Amino acid sequence: MPMLTLKFKKNTIADYPLHKGKSITIGRRTNNDIVVENLAVSGHHAKIDSIGDGFVLTDLQSKNGCFVNEQLVTSQWLKHGDVVNIGKHTLVFSYGDGEARPEEVSAQVDQTLALDADMFRKMVAGNPAAPPPAAVESKHPLGILSYLSGGNGEITLTKKLTKIGKDPNADIVVGGLGVGHTAATISMRPNGFHLSHVSGLFKAKVNGEAVKDTIQLKEFDIIELGSTKLQFFTKD
Amino acid sequence: MHVIESAGLSDTGQKRNDNEDSLLVDNGLGLYIIADGMGGHRAGEVASRLVVESMRGHIKRCLAGAAPAEAEPVDDSLSAAANQVRDAIVLSNRVVHDAANGTKDYRGMGATVAVIFINERTVVAANVGDSPIFLVHKGRLERLSVPHTVQAELRAAVSPGAETLNAAFSHVLTRAMGINASVEANICEVPYFTDDILVIGSDGLTDMVTPGEMLTTVIRHPPAEACRLLVDLANDRGGPDNITVIVLKVKETSNGQSKLKNLWSRVSEGFTSLGSKKRTID
Repeated sequence: MPMLTLKFKKNTIADYPLHKGKSITIGRRTNNDIVVENLAVSGHHAKIDSIGDGFVLTDLQSKNGCFVNEQLVTSQWLKHGDVVNIGKHTLVFSYGDGEARPEEVSAQVDQTLALDADMFRKMVAGNPAAPPPAAVESKHPLGILSYLSGGNGEITLTKKLTKIGKDPNADIVVGGLGVGHTAATISMRPNGFHLSHVSGLFKAKVNGEAVKDTIQLKEFDIIELGSTKLQFFTKD
Repeated sequence: MHVIESAGLSDTGQKRNDNEDSLLVDNGLGLYIIADGMGGHRAGEVASRLVVESMRGHIKRCLAGAAPAEAEPVDDSLSAAANQVRDAIVLSNRVVHDAANGTKDYRGMGATVAVIFINERTVVAANVGDSPIFLVHKGRLERLSVPHTVQAELRAAVSPGAETLNAAFSHVLTRAMGINASVEANICEVPYFTDDILVIGSDGLTDMVTPGEMLTTVIRHPPAEACRLLVDLANDRGGPDNITVIVLKVKETSNGQSKLKNLWSRVSEGFTSLGSKKRTID
């Protein structure tokens, strides 16, 4: 991982490693990741974000500004050997010897392309580990509701949006006083299944807690509505 | 009646000469689309515009009660509205594919698409390609789209190949509009609530701006201002690609946020908690 070396004049004060996927802040206040004690430095002076394989410096509207290689910047990708000036301190951005350095970041964001057979052959040639496209298709686990009371058996959540309520056309019909026509819905989203309140006097409960808007369902959560009790789980 | 505050902005960026992104913000239809085109000789621009226009045409006909007879067979796993969005994508893919094969200059052109279709009660989000769709609910950002890139799909298949992939392939799409005669979209339908925020972007935005930055910008600023700030930020960082963003804020839902209904639901919660207390006493 690349390193930021904090210097004052010729003296090195400290080294800070940067990690992929982690942002850091720089400033005078002690709640920054890199604290620079100097009145020319703002409380929260700048931040460095990890974006893709690169790192980008952003000035946090500091009073005296951020300079990279003596140029005033508001936001800038950092390259090996860049010198960041904050007040009278400098931060040197560098990669270790032999460490992979991302190519010029703007070069990575190439023209968008759709995969064709020719390109795929080229890709596989360089990456023997790459599976053929047919095997690439990502699979979602199946969501299943199992009746604990008010019915028998299991319901597989096949729809993108499953409706639960009094309405006879609902996917899961639940009777009872104060249960809405569509009382709640379960939506299938990229990160899992979510239960949402829709209408009715009584809200569905998950693990005993009334759901006011939306909750992500976890393995073996218990859903209660009216006289019906269901347990949620997933299957691969 | 639901009330949505909306804004959209598209910018060529700092490095390109043409803007191959197209966007649609149509509050009347409740339809919001970003398409990111690809292909030389301005064909990318043509492809993305074809996607937006043909999808809008289809949804408009559906809402007018005049769905075309050649509609696809109904997919039982989707609601009526989600089926309309899926049909619009299937139809639009055919339009771009036909145009690409009918004209020499357009050969090989295609586009991504990310669409949001808002109904009285739900949001249908659908995508083909890598233009993302986000939902912000109670200060949390969630991706409703699935990126159709080689890298993302290898990662999903937990293949070690994903990390060794050459950077040149990181943006290679496994699906796009117009490339094949048929296409399958990723579709998601979710209920929405007052103060929810929806964001659609092109990769020119999301490659340059972190999810955290996007989240704080859309929460703190009204949609038009948020779009401007996000585009400016991507441009400040070099703007190597076209940058497009749509921000939608739910001001009011038709699920009954009126004072009377709020009162009712509070009373009913009171009942519920009373009921549960009784049970514990028993």
